[in-house]
Amino acid sequence: MFALLTQDPARTPGHIENPAPPLAVDTYGQLPKLASTFDHVDGLFYFTYIVCIFFFVVIVGVIAVSVVLYRRKTWDQPALSNVTHNTPLEVVWTVIPLIIVMVMFAWGFKGSLDMTNVPEAASRNLYKATAKQWNWTFTYPNGQQSFGEVWVEVDKPVAFATESTDVLHAFYLPQMRVKRDVIPGRSQVVWFEPKEVGDYHLFCAEYCGNDHSKMYAQLHVVSAEEFAKKPWDKWDDSTPAAAAKSGESLYKQLCASCHSVNGIPGVGPSWKGLFTKNADGTFTGRQREVLVGGQKQTITVDDAYIIESIKTPMAKIVAEEPYNRGGMSAFDNIEDRKIAGLIQYMKSLAEAK
Amino acid sequence: MTTNVPVIDTHAHHAPEAGGTNYLNNRSGFWSWAGTLDHKRIGLMYLVGVSIAFLCGGLFALLVRLHLWEPKGMLFDNAQYNQIFTLHGAFMVFLFVIPAIPGSLGNMVLPLMLGAKDVALPRLNLLSFYLWLTGAVLATLAIVLGGFDTGWTFYTPYSLYTQQAVVTIGLAIFVLGFSSIFTGLNFIVTVHKLRAPGLTWFRMPLFVWALYATSLLQVLATPVLGITVLLVAFERLYHIGIFDPRLGGDPVLFEHFFWFYSHPAVYIMVLPAFGIISELVSVHSRKPLFGYKLIAFSSLAIAIISFLVWGHHMFTSGQSTYAMFAFSFLTFFVAIPTAIKEFSWVATIWKGSIALNSPMLYTLAFLIIFAIGGLTGVILGALNVDIHLHDTYFVVAHFHYVMMGSIALAFFAGLHHWWPKMFGVMYDEFLAKIACAIIFIGFNATFLPQFIMGSRGMPRRYATYVPDYAPYHAASTVGVIILTVGIGMMVFYLVASLFQGKKAMQNQWGGVTLDWLCPTPPPLENFDVPPKVVHEVYDYSTLDYQSMQTPVR
Ligand code: HEC
Ligand SMILES: [Cu+2]
Ligand SMILES: [Cu+2]
Repeated sequence: MFALLTQDPARTPGHIENPAPPLAVDTYGQLPKLASTFDHVDGLFYFTYIVCIFFFVVIVGVIAVSVVLYRRKTWDQPALSNVTHNTPLEVVWTVIPLIIVMVMFAWGFKGSLDMTNVPEAASRNLYKATAKQWNWTFTYPNGQQSFGEVWVEVDKPVAFATESTDVLHAFYLPQMRVKRDVIPGRSQVVWFEPKEVGDYHLFCAEYCGNDHSKMYAQLHVVSAEEFAKKPWDKWDDSTPAAAAKSGESLYKQLCASCHSVNGIPGVGPSWKGLFTKNADGTFTGRQREVLVGGQKQTITVDDAYIIESIKTPMAKIVAEEPYNRGGMSAFDNIEDRKIAGLIQYMKSLAEAK
Repeated sequence: MTTNVPVIDTHAHHAPEAGGTNYLNNRSGFWSWAGTLDHKRIGLMYLVGVSIAFLCGGLFALLVRLHLWEPKGMLFDNAQYNQIFTLHGAFMVFLFVIPAIPGSLGNMVLPLMLGAKDVALPRLNLLSFYLWLTGAVLATLAIVLGGFDTGWTFYTPYSLYTQQAVVTIGLAIFVLGFSSIFTGLNFIVTVHKLRAPGLTWFRMPLFVWALYATSLLQVLATPVLGITVLLVAFERLYHIGIFDPRLGGDPVLFEHFFWFYSHPAVYIMVLPAFGIISELVSVHSRKPLFGYKLIAFSSLAIAIISFLVWGHHMFTSGQSTYAMFAFSFLTFFVAIPTAIKEFSWVATIWKGSIALNSPMLYTLAFLIIFAIGGLTGVILGALNVDIHLHDTYFVVAHFHYVMMGSIALAFFAGLHHWWPKMFGVMYDEFLAKIACAIIFIGFNATFLPQFIMGSRGMPRRYATYVPDYAPYHAASTVGVIILTVGIGMMVFYLVASLFQGKKAMQNQWGGVTLDWLCPTPPPLENFDVPPKVVHEVYDYSTLDYQSMQTPVR
């Protein structure tokens, strides 16, 4: 049973911590400002909107006039008319809406073809967007990766092959008018051509569990010169302390929604106490009961176990309730130096013996 | 009484059963209710049940909105929030919106409108109610067993992995499905078999037509839902690999199954509401319905086409171009019969004798809100626009305009309309009108801002959100508080009327369908003399004005 009104302050925050600047709104004040080439979405949206407002005004107008004119003044007043048919009128109000909706249908269908048929230029600039509970990993055409934010070049069509490692998610860029469900076991490609430099929201639009609303990333659209500087490529592991710091930021992007570092249990076990620090500066891993193919074993936590837990979490599952059912999906393509950074961060949490 | 009116005398020499009893006071004691086969008592038990479900669902909605007052969330952590919005959806959809109108008002009024003594299968009717009750108990049990956080749509594979009471709530839905199927079956048989002499198909009131079309949908579509939740339960318990991608299953298949039921279910929910509005527009304008046959046929047309549009819930799932083409085309197509209905209702009011009493105010509120709900549906039908709007608050606002704004308002309208019939008492009309206005304002204040933030990209089912959307969320929360006040008022004066309401009139509003020609409140078997129908439906030249001024016994 859920406990009402008990937000646990010690839990990792459940909200987006540093969102992109507020989105701008277009001149009509309704849709967010378009930043891609899919202007037919806005065109049809406003066309339909105006048609809807027209019909709404007609309907409400007729109701209002009727109420004013034909209000019952004495309790036994009969109706002014008993007409039940007017064939011309009925034909008109069937045929005209039919024509209008067929126009909308054709317009919308044509637009959707534009959105689903990935042009050649975009497929040559193919990124990968990997969704998992509750974070985004982006792989660039050159194989490099970034987490929770992604950079693309302005005026250059780009495609994203979306993949999920666990449940359904959806890849949603409101200002690009792009949305596609991310379905485990299928890779689907979406494309768009960013037209304006800026930082944009990337939301997960399909409910995916606890931190669905926190499954956020930023899309940075940058100029060609800026892009050439590879702003995502800034992993610093020159010293153990720097590696731990880089690891911490990665932890916040990928792991914090399930693992705390302060001992509070979450979806996954807390990382507190994984290692203890010896007097000579080396680290000792704790004892861990794990399930290997359903069999209980006791192991000592070490780098190899951590790496295995990240790349193939199901190989050794923590035996303790409620973790013994698994629940972490594999991060099988994080670069080794980044995993090393994560481990460095875990060790930096260790208390001295 | 002349011979050209339905042969029942509603006020003069009506021979009451021993001592003027009616269905409410002819028997008493627990078992006289719990074991009753009387459609009116079963209808009342449904009314109490669905009202409680509505108030629970409403409480969850209130919590959701209060939580969203601030971008970071006010009350819950994310996991708790997910349970609350799921509870809100599941309670409202499965325990309230689907059964509410057929179960309560339908049960109460359908046999009266047909001139029948009861529904065709009274025992099955009682079984339907107990299945509903079992479903409600199981749903509550699921909360106690840890709750469930899948959203009312139970999308796989999340619903397969989450460690919560999904199987229990699945079972609840399974049982509720049977309740719905049995009610549908019962109504179909009743309409076919128990129409009074002279009550031809095209003399049936439109509420009856609507319930008939609904029943067809219930019988044909609900089994798919039953099978689907069963498959989810099997998948969870035995890992058979039908929906779970880890086992080679296809999660999108679940979406197809689910919407194959749940789109028709939208019409299972809304058609009875259309029926109520058709009745009320006519009675309170004292004018025959404009385009009666067209409305009747459009109900059937909607029922049929609604089986072919489920894919419009999945435009972003990567369907083939052909599927997108067909689903979008048919979705626009189904807009036409719906538009015809709205136009016909408005044309009925035109040159009528419009009584601005509370049932009519609720009806007018419905007409305005449903116009918005329907028209925004057209916006969502366009393929490219839907790609932007899908799974945002725009959709949330759209379906609340239909499900809450239209269906619940039609339910309230019907409740106010038949309240004097059911209980023989009148509520405080003044309070009723005020409450209606408050509900109307509160409702629009809640959901209009959601259209705006949705079109700006606010995704649904978010426990927290980026600050861009904060003003709209705040406005929406204020709206829901106003709405709560209105609904609280309504509950208050309705309940109060049972204790100290004025006596109602035999024919409070001047209806000419059979439900207003039997005694008020009806005796056990409804009509003292079996009625015969010799008139076209909604023929107000036959209205017996005196019955509007004769108090109930
Ligand atoms: C969706 C929630 C989730 C996310 C996100 C997640 N984990 Fe896990 N993690 C779990 C669960 C559940 C377990 C326990 C089951 C198991 O051992 O596989 C676990 C176990 C582990 C273990 C073994 C811990 C121990 O105490 O023995 C390590 C190491 C680990 N995760 C590392 C990571 C890293 C690194 C990340 C981020 C890159 C991460 N996890 C992201 C859920 C998650
Ligand atoms: Cu999500
Ligand atoms: Cu639908």
